[in-house]
Amino acid sequence: MKLIADRLDRISPSLTIAMTAKARALKAAGKDIIGLSSGEPDFDTPRNVKDAAIAAIERGETKYTDVAGTVELRRAICTKFKRDSGIEYTPEEILVATGGKQVIFDALVATINSGDEAIIPAPCWVSYPDIVALAEGTPVIVQCGQNSGFKMTGEQLEAAITPRTKWLILNNPCNPTGAAYNAAEIKALTDVLMRHPHVWVFTDDIYEKLAYDGFKPATVLEVEPRLKDRTVTMNGCSKAYAMTGWRIGFAGAPITLIKAMDKLQSQSTSNTSSVSQAAAVEALTGPQDSIEDMRKVYERRRNLVVDMLNAAPGLRCHKPEGAFYVFPDMRGCIGKTTAGGKKIATDEDFTIALLEETGVATVHGAAFLSPGHFRISYATSDEALREACTRIQKFCAGMK
Amino acid sequence: MPALAERLNRVSISASVIMTIKARELAAQGIKVVSLASGEPDFPTPLHAIEAAHQAALAGDTKYPPQDGTKRLKEAVQRKFKRDNNLDYALDEIMVTNGGKQSIFNAFMATIDPGDEVLIPAPFWSSYSEMAKVAGGVPVTINCPQNNGFKLRPEDLDAAITPKTKWVMINFPNNPTGAACSRAEMQAIAAVLMKHPHVWVMTDDMYEHLVYDGFEFCTIADVEPRLKDRTLTVNGASKTYAMTGWRIGFCGGPKALIKGMMNMQGQATAGVSTISQAAVAAALDGPQEIVRERAEEYRQRRDLVVEMLNAAPGISCHKPEGAFYVFPNIAGCIGKTSKGGRKIETDTDFAMALLEEKYVATVQGTAYGMSPYLRISYATNTENLREACGRIQEFCRELS
Repeated sequence: MKLIADRLDRISPSLTIAMTAKARALKAAGKDIIGLSSGEPDFDTPRNVKDAAIAAIERGETKYTDVAGTVELRRAICTKFKRDSGIEYTPEEILVATGGKQVIFDALVATINSGDEAIIPAPCWVSYPDIVALAEGTPVIVQCGQNSGFKMTGEQLEAAITPRTKWLILNNPCNPTGAAYNAAEIKALTDVLMRHPHVWVFTDDIYEKLAYDGFKPATVLEVEPRLKDRTVTMNGCSKAYAMTGWRIGFAGAPITLIKAMDKLQSQSTSNTSSVSQAAAVEALTGPQDSIEDMRKVYERRRNLVVDMLNAAPGLRCHKPEGAFYVFPDMRGCIGKTTAGGKKIATDEDFTIALLEETGVATVHGAAFLSPGHFRISYATSDEALREACTRIQKFCAGMK
Repeated sequence: MPALAERLNRVSISASVIMTIKARELAAQGIKVVSLASGEPDFPTPLHAIEAAHQAALAGDTKYPPQDGTKRLKEAVQRKFKRDNNLDYALDEIMVTNGGKQSIFNAFMATIDPGDEVLIPAPFWSSYSEMAKVAGGVPVTINCPQNNGFKLRPEDLDAAITPKTKWVMINFPNNPTGAACSRAEMQAIAAVLMKHPHVWVMTDDMYEHLVYDGFEFCTIADVEPRLKDRTLTVNGASKTYAMTGWRIGFCGGPKALIKGMMNMQGQATAGVSTISQAAVAAALDGPQEIVRERAEEYRQRRDLVVEMLNAAPGISCHKPEGAFYVFPNIAGCIGKTSKGGRKIETDTDFAMALLEEKYVATVQGTAYGMSPYLRISYATNTENLREACGRIQEFCRELS
């Protein structure tokens, strides 16, 4: 009998992790590596949040909590949804999970039957199609190119919907492109959804707070409240409060779905860390100044990176609205040969040669289902970014 | 609401959770409920673990952890397996999960194809069968009767194995009975498994340190090292160190299995809270006296509870070797009527009437696959236990 179940064969190995591992190995070998491949803020968790965690430990909040999260945290999440997006949720409509990833896992594994379809605009974070596939569903990938700012249009959505469509999965602002939808752009999608009452929408708003030049990413329910009985609004603390290691994601959704997600979670992990939950209460309800401080820094870095990349021959970098990624088009380099003698036939050749010849770690676009591009995370210092972009410029200029 | 996924309809909500919620509702009405329903130590987290959590937060150990656990914790787990279980695991044979539950979930999801059988000695923790069902497997129970001390008889195991058997679950000390296996008893089980090389073994050793009267715990991969290449040894910090809320489980197993489990966890939750990992590393490496002191406290409680329950008419309570549960037989109460006029036809009737009339929360044996029994958790203070057992005696005396 073979050991590994068929469902695992449906998951593609993470290409992001493969790149990170390669960069780590080079670094360990003493190479000067600049990592622009990680989707993680370089800031530390705010001090008030850490103090809240420590206080909770001292109070003995180290026992099992409700699977869906403590009442205090679920109330704080209701407050956050109301304050930031004008959405009214009750604590019974909230679930807390181990990172945003588990929210996605819970929602999709609890609802997808074999052959159900989930529409996913690409470029996308590959965990969406992987989790859909794990749940025996069919990911329906809709390519949204740089010309439309990497965003899905109403027409594209309309054309992708079939009777088997169960979910539309939105990620706004988006990993890996940084593209974000404003209210009018979301409205174009929700108008389509209103005509197809069998389709549910999952919106991953984890980068919500990271938007620039006054841009306001809109979430589905603030644009179309009538979708509330078939929308999951996902968010979390990882990106807004630099709390990746604490593992707190959450969602608001109709009670029946929350109950189903709760049931699944009760048989996979139960509640998420009680200490992390206490920290999240403070993050959501305490002073919010740290977000604006981080946002300003990210905006400056984005401008720096976009400008420098566009000065590299063969690259074309769209300036996105949010997140901490850019997703430059590298097709102008295809067919060329690097100074190190490596022939560039694909985006993966490009990122591997870039890593090996200049020590800059990025992730190729195929890892986000959009070949011909690569992802740069600018969640690192200005100095490192300037150095990395200089190396990329030289790398491109040195191609023949 | 679209129909939920078929897999979720196969899953039921844990009876102990239902009882805990019901008890909490009564308590909210101002009634003094004594709960013996929850499987959670009443002790606090050890101070040195708390201190390590503080340090980790303050030091900025708040970033994404590796999916399989931090190096620091995995090394501590490696030392623990060697020290306590005489087991040598390489670091790539160890992973850290959100509670012991996720180790089991990962293993089942990574290996079970539809129709694969999981053999579960009964009485059992209901999550084993629920998780097997989520993964599409078929739970098959093997009765472990009271007259054999609720232990698995080798001949019963042998008779239950079929060509479809993928896993055998082993959980001694056992939830809900407290039964534990001696080395000779475990050897007999291992001898059966040696005859069936297609069967994998999962041993849930969560209660290993809670054994009494000089009983010596043993784990199967140590008892029969030739089984190690098809054994997953699951353990965690929840019960040993009273760290339930921190959500740290871990396991050791063959590299190919661990790799599959990591892929699974990578899609479900990714890594585990860094703060919790730091706390548990300190707990594992720190002084262990507290574990022995608490075990002695549990032993005294067990003796008290067994004695008081055996003085209740209609109840016969076996004195088990470990864990913090007893599993009294209530056959002598079946067919009678409570003082409040409730007919006791099943153990569920008994548990409900006991809660509603005497405000003592327990869980019916049916929930663990054997009736008519009750599960009583003695992880609460002596005063509560005395009060609760007194009420149970009164409840039984009043049956007519």
